[in-house]
Amino acid sequence: MTRPLPRGVPADPVVRALVRAQLASRSVSRRSVLAAGAGSAGVAALLAACGTGGTPGGQRSGPVEDRSADEKQVRWANWTLYLDYDDESQTYPTLERFTEQTGIEVDYAEDIDDNDAYYGKVQGQLANGQDIGQDIITLTDWMAGRVIRLGYTQPLDKANIPNASNLLPSLQDVSFDPGREHSLTWQSGFGGVAWNKAQVPNGIRTVSDLWAPELAGRVEVLSEMRDTVGLIMLEQGVDVAGEWGDDEFFAALEVLEQQISSGQIRQVKGNSYAEDLVSGDALAVIGWSGDITVLNFENGENWEFALPEAGGTLWSDNLMIPVGSPHKANAEALIDYYYDPEVAAEVAAYVNYICPVEGAREAMDAFDPSLAENPLIFPDDATLARSHVFRALSAEEETRYNDEFQSVIGN
Amino acid sequence: MAGPDARSGADLVLDRVTKEFAGVPAVDDLSLTVPAGSFFALLGPSGCGKTTTLRMVAGLERPSDGRILIGGDDVTHTRAHQRPVNTVFQSYALFPHLTVLENVAFGLRRRREPDPLGRARQALELVELPHLAERRPNQLSGGQQQRVALARAVVNNPAVLLLDEPLGALDLKLRRQMQVELKRIQTEVGLTFVHVTHDQEEAMTMADTVAVMNAGRIEQLGSPAELYEMPRTAFVANFLGQSNLLRGTVVENGGALVGVDVGGARVRVPAERAVRTSGDVLVGVRPEKLHLLRDGEAVPDDCNVVGPGRVTDVSFTGVSTQYQVEVPALGTLGVFVQNLLGGAAVGLGEQVRLACAVRHTFALDGDDDVASGVVALDESA
Amino acid sequence: MSIVSALGHGQGGGGTSPAVAAPRRRARGGAYLLLAPGIAYLGLFFVIPVVALLVTSLYVPVPGGEVGQFAPAFEWRNYTAALATYWPQLVRSFAYAFVATVAALAIGYPMAYVIAVRARGRPFLQGLLLVLVIAPFFTSFILRTIAWKQILADESFVVSAIRAVGLLPPDGRLTATGFAVVAGLTYNFLPFMTLPIYANLERLDPRMLEAGADLYADGPTTFRRVTLPLSLPGVVSGTLLTFIPASGDFVNSVLLGNTSTTMIGQVVDSRFFKVSDYPTAAALSVVLMVAILVLVIAYVRRAGTEELL
Repeated sequence: MTRPLPRGVPADPVVRALVRAQLASRSVSRRSVLAAGAGSAGVAALLAACGTGGTPGGQRSGPVEDRSADEKQVRWANWTLYLDYDDESQTYPTLERFTEQTGIEVDYAEDIDDNDAYYGKVQGQLANGQDIGQDIITLTDWMAGRVIRLGYTQPLDKANIPNASNLLPSLQDVSFDPGREHSLTWQSGFGGVAWNKAQVPNGIRTVSDLWAPELAGRVEVLSEMRDTVGLIMLEQGVDVAGEWGDDEFFAALEVLEQQISSGQIRQVKGNSYAEDLVSGDALAVIGWSGDITVLNFENGENWEFALPEAGGTLWSDNLMIPVGSPHKANAEALIDYYYDPEVAAEVAAYVNYICPVEGAREAMDAFDPSLAENPLIFPDDATLARSHVFRALSAEEETRYNDEFQSVIGN
Repeated sequence: MAGPDARSGADLVLDRVTKEFAGVPAVDDLSLTVPAGSFFALLGPSGCGKTTTLRMVAGLERPSDGRILIGGDDVTHTRAHQRPVNTVFQSYALFPHLTVLENVAFGLRRRREPDPLGRARQALELVELPHLAERRPNQLSGGQQQRVALARAVVNNPAVLLLDEPLGALDLKLRRQMQVELKRIQTEVGLTFVHVTHDQEEAMTMADTVAVMNAGRIEQLGSPAELYEMPRTAFVANFLGQSNLLRGTVVENGGALVGVDVGGARVRVPAERAVRTSGDVLVGVRPEKLHLLRDGEAVPDDCNVVGPGRVTDVSFTGVSTQYQVEVPALGTLGVFVQNLLGGAAVGLGEQVRLACAVRHTFALDGDDDVASGVVALDESA
Repeated sequence: MSIVSALGHGQGGGGTSPAVAAPRRRARGGAYLLLAPGIAYLGLFFVIPVVALLVTSLYVPVPGGEVGQFAPAFEWRNYTAALATYWPQLVRSFAYAFVATVAALAIGYPMAYVIAVRARGRPFLQGLLLVLVIAPFFTSFILRTIAWKQILADESFVVSAIRAVGLLPPDGRLTATGFAVVAGLTYNFLPFMTLPIYANLERLDPRMLEAGADLYADGPTTFRRVTLPLSLPGVVSGTLLTFIPASGDFVNSVLLGNTSTTMIGQVVDSRFFKVSDYPTAAALSVVLMVAILVLVIAYVRRAGTEELL
């Protein structure tokens, strides 16, 4: 999943394009290692995968002792460009302030650029209950669900996170972590439809609008199963957050397959559909809200993003404390700090995603009213009501659905 | 136009050929005729233009000016592959990817001659290598490669066969052997051979006619004996064998003999052996033509005599003894004496006079550089 | 002929003379020691992973287990199942790689020839042309390919021009097609084709060409009978250096293709990272490796022993 560029990067469009491409290349380039010599691919992950064969969550050492009081530090693995950054001082201002206030040093690492790849890297150690060198990890809903399900996380002590009550109501109860025992949202985004305003003057109101003959060969959809299939399911009247099964999933997949084989859908893409919107190859897409915000900021207000009438998907990245972390209290202090509306607003102004913290909008109003009014950063209740979190899948479902989805998109 | 079937033994004519590289002439207004079926050598030091001349005949260089005729046909503007000419390259240039047999058959195949492999085998027999037909060139010794290169050229029966320093890469003994061999083959096939070399002995051993080249021009052309006995320039006198050249001035002429004053001594030179018969000349004599006269020895008839001088060096070489004699006002002269009686007859430091038959004396243009054409030690090998 | 000797095959010429053979033999024991770092490195980063790959390729899912959870087994049907499902992608990969290799040869050989033979003796021009061949490597592979997409976009003047001359139908396109993938592969691997051929032609003795001309071969014939056969080692290296990575490549297919141009590398990636189906990913990798090995051996054999053209 891509992360749009924050406002902090240089305004020169060429430089921005380069930065963006470099970002895009990070996730691809690590994979091109796999491509170059498919024979010796992803060895670390592969060897880790071999370890999976053993006893999942088996040889767990006892609960880790929390050494937070003695070791005033916390280590946080996050996605790239996902925290406010000051180019001049080359520091993260909000982190600096956290250290000032609490005396806890933060070791911040932009370690994650792909849920699966990161999971592959740390899964072996997590299974053995070892310290993976991080006290906070940031993973997308479905992966967060898997990690929690496998017992790879420590429960959060809400007494240490009073600000957790600021979590938006719509995010307070999620199927993969009922009651938010193990996770708290970092940022969220919408999956919906976007289109070129000049070329598609009537706009896209429903997913079915994408299948209009005049858009043949100029439509792209996401290679993220939960967004693409989820939007089609919503279109078909399925509540993706609710109870649904094979029938609903495969009915939606059939639509996708049909639109691919008819040539209506040009390509199924991960993080690079935005380039195709810019080049004009794609006129309408299933895409992510944050990307469109940035695209409009960089290239003029040429595109519009909307949740389809039948509803859109809402995904989040979630902060969790891995099993082996010896700095749980410090981690909780950090999470609490970022749930302070003022701090959350500062981050939101930089990363342009949906801010999950109640009150951040009001805080934002104080220094950037235009951002406070951006419904893609601070969606109103009506919008939120139309966005749905794809329900957690069982391991068996996840394997099977993914398998089918990948084969439909040519893999 | 010389068709590919032009028959062997055609004559080769170069008519006022000039070749310039970046404005500098490598071959300068050169004309020569190589008679059909002759063994012709172009002899000269490196850089004299002999290889450029050869390459122009092969069609590998285009003359800047002049014409080239083979068997009467003007081939100046034809390409290398259109000329009835084949070359034995200095480093043989055998095709490493082909067998010996296929190397030899290459030209025949290109001209779609009948039975290329059969004829290639015959050519290999001519050079006595039929047993190596299936080898690759890099499995052969230098001498064997040389023979294959020769077979590869000869098999095509070219009007003119060009040899570019063909023996240069061989050791001395093998080279002598191949000289005889080449001559035999040339006699046997009767082709016109043009042989480029810097080795005067090689040229004289094999060639009917030798052209001595220097600085893009032919200094002198003739049979080996002619060139040796009667050089016409200081370059030829020095490059072909060795010569003692003495500066002098003509003081008497008009008859069959020219009288020259050489450092106060009077020397006679046959008029037909003198390039100039007046003014400044260089009087020349080959070292082996000089006799050492000890005190009191009589002067033979019809001899020029200079000296006395002092023997400054004696070196015994087996066949002969070589002396250096320093004659006041003339400089140092070399003398070769056949070891007919065995051992050195004259000792170091002895005072001797030098005598030479008048008919062996020659005179060159006094403007010639005395040292021109003296073979540097590293080139004389 | 082994692959290694095909790659290292020089231009013939001077065989080892007996004079140098003796000391060389004495040095041999020490020379083998020089291989130690290479063997250690390859052992660590090639042999062990390959063994891990082979072992993983035979695993079976744990019944009712978590995503990506497998147990050791000897399930050879993983291979038949993978082949049965993904043979189209496998065949497509080799077909694309083959076409790209042929295209790269058709473009790269003349380039290498001009730089090495025609520009011989003009070092500045040679240097300039070589830099131009290598220059694309100065920017990232991804950036170049992304730039390509912009150049060949539906609205670009390139596509408009091609449509205008009727080579593409009015709604035809270049990106998101198999053609674009092959073109991208060709472009990205072109230097791997050009440089070995250049290196080979550069050492080509010009007297070989003169000998050809002297023996009645005109320009094209000399090329066919002399230059080309002598440059075959370079062609073999270039084609291998292009074909092998191109068959396993998927970046071009991801960026320039669409769902019907999927190459096997993409499948391995998706099996591995998206579906966590490690055994299938491993089995496909093994199949790819073996298939490439077989193709390469067959190719090198042929190139090595055939009487060249």
